[in-house]
Amino acid sequence: MGGAALMVLGRTDNAIVERVSVVVVDVFAPMMDMLSRPAATVREGVETARELAYLRDENVRLARENQRLLGWQESARHLAAQNEVLQSLLAYSPPAEARFVTARVVGDSGGVFVRSAIVNAGASVGVAKGQAAITGAGLAGRVAQAGHRSARILLITDINSRVPVLVESSRERAILAGDNSRLPRLSFLPANASVHTGDRIVTSGHGGVFPPGLSVGRVVIDSSGTPRVEPFAQLDRLEFVRLVDFPRVEPIQTPRTARRAPTAP
Amino acid sequence: MSPTLSQQLDALARNLIPAALGILLVLFSTIPYSLPAFGAVAPNFVLMAVFYWAVFRSDALSPITVFLIGLLQDILIGTPPGLNAAILVLVRTFAVSQNRVFRGKSFMVLWFGFVVVGLSAAFAEWLITAIYHLDFLDPRLVLVRAAMTIALFPFLVWLFSWTHQKLLPQN
Repeated sequence: MGGAALMVLGRTDNAIVERVSVVVVDVFAPMMDMLSRPAATVREGVETARELAYLRDENVRLARENQRLLGWQESARHLAAQNEVLQSLLAYSPPAEARFVTARVVGDSGGVFVRSAIVNAGASVGVAKGQAAITGAGLAGRVAQAGHRSARILLITDINSRVPVLVESSRERAILAGDNSRLPRLSFLPANASVHTGDRIVTSGHGGVFPPGLSVGRVVIDSSGTPRVEPFAQLDRLEFVRLVDFPRVEPIQTPRTARRAPTAP
Repeated sequence: MSPTLSQQLDALARNLIPAALGILLVLFSTIPYSLPAFGAVAPNFVLMAVFYWAVFRSDALSPITVFLIGLLQDILIGTPPGLNAAILVLVRTFAVSQNRVFRGKSFMVLWFGFVVVGLSAAFAEWLITAIYHLDFLDPRLVLVRAAMTIALFPFLVWLFSWTHQKLLPQN
């Protein structure tokens, strides 16, 4: 009976239930941190052994990748220079830099119907509810609860997760809806939208939770024809995540310089 | 002869072992194993512990303790608070009421009893979560998890019975 009552309370986003669970996670986070270290050490050992075995192949691959990236570096420099010139023409004031905290994942959800993780950083280092959790590869989730020294990340695959996204190439909007499976669904696409396997999905920034343009994943069409997204971040083996405090993006105002732009005779 | 203070403290500490073991198993089930898709189907160690103690030493793990352990599991995993707490209390009630069936019989009888408990608990978890989210949820993972839990039961029983015989005061 008590269990049922608690579940109903929890369902209605009761502040006390949330407060208690934040405190409990905070109390147990150091123990989870300690217990998860041997597991991490074993995993690193296995990883090292595997890397040694593929050292040569890896080297060849990296050399090729380096070649390719040098090309990208060149075009990035070119674009940066061009961007600077264009920004000065528009008198554009760039948004403030984002602040971030890197945290170690100490608890993986051991639940069948939950996709979340507990990290060892909390409000004491600036982590707050709603911040984006990203890995080097892409978006992993958002901070759902923040305690003093721990926080819970709701992963984008969780059934409660909804992220406003864009198909990068066609700029079509959609909602990335988790359903506890490995590949979250791409829902609320416009009726005539065309998405293809391999299309890149990025956050749209609508709703103000995430900044626009964070990489999320690639489209895969499942056997029933539903577009799904394969996240870039490896969500089932998260070790470290960056919790990013993005300054709120203000709507772009028409720059005065543009209005005063001289009309060519 | 009445027991001395140190004997009383010793008995108290030993009686707390099942609860402490329960909390430790909750923490173990939240460790990131980093095996693809393993986190979701990691065996439910706590369920095994509650079943074992309810059959053999129901006095060592009270319903309130079981409820609190379940609640801790819910909070750390992130399941709806009360879900595992309610399931574990039901499992304990069932196991206590049937403990004559399991005590003194072969291990296979105990294991069979746990198969019934494991599958029922999995079904309850699936059903309650589906109602909670008002959505149909894929039952396959929960079945894989139940199978893993049932398969690992003998190893954990060995650990529990060792603890039971060596560390717990005999009554």
